[in-house]
Amino acid sequence: MSLSRREFLKSSAAASAAAAIGMSVPAELEAAAAEAEGDWRWDKAACRFCGTGCGIMMATKNGKIVAVKGDPAAPVNRGLNCIKGYFNAKIMYGADRLTQPLLRVDANGNFDKKGKFAPVSWKRAFDEMEIHIKKALKASGPEGVGVFASGQYTIMEGYAAQKLMKGGFRSNAIDPNARHCMASAVVGFYQTFGVDEPSGCYDDIELTDTIVSWGSNMAEMHPILWSRVTDRKLSDPERVKIVSIQTYTHRTSDIADIEIIFSPNTDLALWNYIAREIVYRDDAEKIIDWDFVKKHMIFAASPVNIGYGMRKDGEKSLKEGKYTALEMETVSKEMSKAVSAKEAPALAPYGYKEGDIMKNQDAPLGNLGHWEISFEEYKKALAPYTLDYTAKISKGDPDEDIEKFKAKLQALANLYIEKGRKVVSFWTMGMNQHTRGTWVNTLSYNVHFLLNKQANPGEGAFSLTGQPSACGTAREVGTFTHRLPADMMVANPADRKITENKWMVPEGTINPVGVQHIMKIHRDIEDGLIKFAWVNVCNPYQDTASAEHWLKAAREMDNFIVTSDGYPGISAKVSDLILPSAMIYEKWGGYGNAERRTQLWRQQVLPVGDAMSDTWQWVELSKRFTVKDVWGEWKPSGPRKEALPSMIEKAKAMGYKEDTTMFEILFANDIAKSYKLDQNDPIQKGYDNTEAYGDSRKVVGSDGKVFEGYGFFIQKYLFEEYAAFTRGHGHDLAPFDMYHKVRGLKWPVVDGKETQWRFNAKYDPYAAKATKDSGNSHAFYGTLAKALKQGNLTGVTDKDGKPKPLPNKAKIFARPYMDPPEMPDAKYDTWLCTGRVLEHWHSGTMTMRVPELYRAVPEALCYMHPKDADAKGVKQGELCWVESRRGKVKARVETRGRNRPPRGLVFVPWFDEKVFINKVCLDATCPMSRQTDFKKCAVKIYKA
Amino acid sequence: MKAMGKLTIGLATAALLIVGCATDGVKSAQKEVVKPSISEESLGLRKTTLYTESNTVADKTAYGTAQASTSTRIKRAFQDAPPMIPHDTNGMLPIKTGDNSCVGCHMPAVAPAMGATPIPVSHFTDFRPRAKIVNGMAVDTVNNYKNETKIVKSDHLQNARFNCSQCHAPQSQGALVVENTFEPVFTSKDGANRSAWDESKYTKSLNTVGAASFVTEDDLANKNSKAGTLGGAKH
Repeated sequence: MSLSRREFLKSSAAASAAAAIGMSVPAELEAAAAEAEGDWRWDKAACRFCGTGCGIMMATKNGKIVAVKGDPAAPVNRGLNCIKGYFNAKIMYGADRLTQPLLRVDANGNFDKKGKFAPVSWKRAFDEMEIHIKKALKASGPEGVGVFASGQYTIMEGYAAQKLMKGGFRSNAIDPNARHCMASAVVGFYQTFGVDEPSGCYDDIELTDTIVSWGSNMAEMHPILWSRVTDRKLSDPERVKIVSIQTYTHRTSDIADIEIIFSPNTDLALWNYIAREIVYRDDAEKIIDWDFVKKHMIFAASPVNIGYGMRKDGEKSLKEGKYTALEMETVSKEMSKAVSAKEAPALAPYGYKEGDIMKNQDAPLGNLGHWEISFEEYKKALAPYTLDYTAKISKGDPDEDIEKFKAKLQALANLYIEKGRKVVSFWTMGMNQHTRGTWVNTLSYNVHFLLNKQANPGEGAFSLTGQPSACGTAREVGTFTHRLPADMMVANPADRKITENKWMVPEGTINPVGVQHIMKIHRDIEDGLIKFAWVNVCNPYQDTASAEHWLKAAREMDNFIVTSDGYPGISAKVSDLILPSAMIYEKWGGYGNAERRTQLWRQQVLPVGDAMSDTWQWVELSKRFTVKDVWGEWKPSGPRKEALPSMIEKAKAMGYKEDTTMFEILFANDIAKSYKLDQNDPIQKGYDNTEAYGDSRKVVGSDGKVFEGYGFFIQKYLFEEYAAFTRGHGHDLAPFDMYHKVRGLKWPVVDGKETQWRFNAKYDPYAAKATKDSGNSHAFYGTLAKALKQGNLTGVTDKDGKPKPLPNKAKIFARPYMDPPEMPDAKYDTWLCTGRVLEHWHSGTMTMRVPELYRAVPEALCYMHPKDADAKGVKQGELCWVESRRGKVKARVETRGRNRPPRGLVFVPWFDEKVFINKVCLDATCPMSRQTDFKKCAVKIYKA
Repeated sequence: MKAMGKLTIGLATAALLIVGCATDGVKSAQKEVVKPSISEESLGLRKTTLYTESNTVADKTAYGTAQASTSTRIKRAFQDAPPMIPHDTNGMLPIKTGDNSCVGCHMPAVAPAMGATPIPVSHFTDFRPRAKIVNGMAVDTVNNYKNETKIVKSDHLQNARFNCSQCHAPQSQGALVVENTFEPVFTSKDGANRSAWDESKYTKSLNTVGAASFVTEDDLANKNSKAGTLGGAKH
């Protein structure tokens, strides 16, 4: 800080004078400017990109966006945006926007999987979808119809999709790309708190003394939160400490006090080391807040031999030899593996030693099963993580001195432990995209809980979200295969019943088996189970590891793939039908960010060409399916071993007929129609609503006639019906109108008041209620898995005992360090990590079409250490091959860029279609969360 | 861009084929003529086959090499958009604590002499009302339910703006893969070259629902929302 402090001081005297030089606006010019903005319309909206959830102000003129600025009233970002945020202005204006449906056809205009694309009408597009969905239902039942859903869906889109899939088609094969980004955090929340989503909020940043970033490049991926962190740090540089814990150096380390470079996957060991320091030094130093722990915590354990979420013996595509011998070198670890020297000490308390063959199998309680253990057992599990062992396995920079590294680990533990020091731990993909992602998420809470530094202002482990509505839509609405709205589960009969009643569908309609997560959807397509798949607001053919398998499955098998998108990305290219979607500000919408803040916006402009919103596409599709098409009996299929009984008689008893459409039941029912269009309503006044009114483009719709609108306020209906699920049990959303008046609110919103710190009785009305009698400071009132059997580290000991309830308590889990399934070896000697860059969003579909963002980073580079470049005979700026057991891509070598890996690791971002890095990555997942580990696999690098 | 141009024309021609004009001027679908005309490769950013990587190479980065003092300003994307960096940044990045090369030339006091774009007054203004601990409780210092702002001018660069590269980036030369049709409207003279930020303009349009921008009792009660409770369902 010293140098720039001097800079600032030096210039600050001049600065007040400077404030006048070069930037003040002469009075007459100012007046002219104000006038020129006279025909601009400013409105608030949420940023399209990351999970931070910044507010923007957006100006339109003559039906076009003309400017964007940071919203000074938005609590998240207070007038500041990052480079992507400002360029929301341009993302809808790429010259190759999709404007018409495109279908692969033969010379006669008939659908042909091998044909080129031809523009077709919306009617033809829906005809084809109807044909192929019916074909898939016939061949495979509801399990044969899949949807690649999204953490970028608006709340309304996600809810509409979920309703037709689960309530209409009776298919749970809908799962969002958020599976790839947040699932481990979600399972971590469920296991620890019994309910999803963070306890804290972004105000923690201004209220804390210590920010620890775990495997997260916040400076690039959450730039506005990082600017809040930077502000906090530079405002009190002596007190405030930043620790950057990473597998390679990047911008987040640039203002850190301590940087720890660790070997991939050993974050598990680092968290356990800190916990060990807390527990083993407690006798002498009184570190643990025992009063808090005894009132609020129990200890728990779960099996370790759970595999790596890869394909298993007996699966169709393995039997058919679709995986090469090279690939099988890694995939075989799914079945069994030898315990390595690196992980053996950590696994010793679980009864394993080096060289033992660990047979991976489905645990008796399922992969998510766990049981209560004693504190003494937990202490045993921590024993291996001495400073020596932890440092030995976790030092990630081979050129760093081990003693210096050890000193940093001690300093890290002491920052957490220091009495009176507030600490926030942030993470995103590093801990989530991890074959032990659920474990490492739960390990973070352990440390905070033992110290009573969780769910307090300025204190807590805080999972940041990657996508703008991974929380708001994917998680809260529940567009995951296993979920229903507001933390309800398809596996729970009571939850299904509540949902069926609200949706006005017969009790028993919803399919009770929800296991087709996003990797499973790809694999089910490859196995031939899924015959129809629809891609919504995501790009699964670019963003999934082991990509060559899924490309082949889409192009070479008997199935029908549809992609709805604003632009033709890789998923569109490999599809059979491409649908032009309205983009973000061309529709009414809402997102929910990482601090539980729900934000809504209005339609700013009309869509381009014949593009229509995803909500419209779902609702139009629902017109094609009647009660008898979808609610009859379905024989067992795929993962479902029981028949789904017919609902037709029950439907008739409810007043529906065999030919009543899903449209009439799910979307245009009497309650929906009670949401009136009204141009005197201040929310609606003067704003387009393409779905409700149609619009001046007079788009010819799914029936071959001009679409004139549904005639009711469909977005408000969808939001309100979804919100009904949230109210009254700790998830409460405010009414639709309220979100149009304020800059978002953090749920639960009770009596109009948002909640900053969940589970804390001072701030959360639900916690206050739960602690009324006990007088406790906190109540961890989540209800999932809140009764456990008793056991030790290796299993349940009272097999016949009754599970012990643990109301309002959270869990501290014993979970060891383990190796990932693929690590560098003699043949593939380098770690590959993939991820994002500041200037691009995900697969680059939008941002590569904004000139300023494209020119900022036009290509994905292979970042590597200069000595590695020398050793491999590749040069700065020249092409190299990056090759794994699965595939290879070419990229240019960068040895002096913003990302600075240690020897032995390369980083290649995934936004660039021309550097298709997911062909190289491995589709191993956390076996509990089913989230892919994009952060580690083994590659070799050589000159191209 | 060449291939893209062709595709756009292709789409336009096809559009003419399938959409006719009825006599009342309303578009209606006539009998569709559907011909396979668009190859997979012609779509999108990558114009090579997806199924092998041998002929696919990323677009080479070629940032401007002009030195800071001699580079030409890049036009702003729209009114008050963050300007991009026209000069070589070698040796200037990364920005680290105690080492921010940008401020050396861009602080307003020195910028004119250096020929650099001066950091505007917005960057010397603090917008953040920080939560505070009062009697052991964290409290907001503005009323977010009324969209209140707290805007304080200062004489130093705001710490929240320390990471210049969060908004400003160097620009690679050469052709775009896809053009962008956004059209800026500048409201200040020379808006493409300079900031015209001022506080009054900035806060003027924040009440986006006009006089009804504030939460009412009716809002809280969620009146007339039949779908808004779990009891609202009927059979």
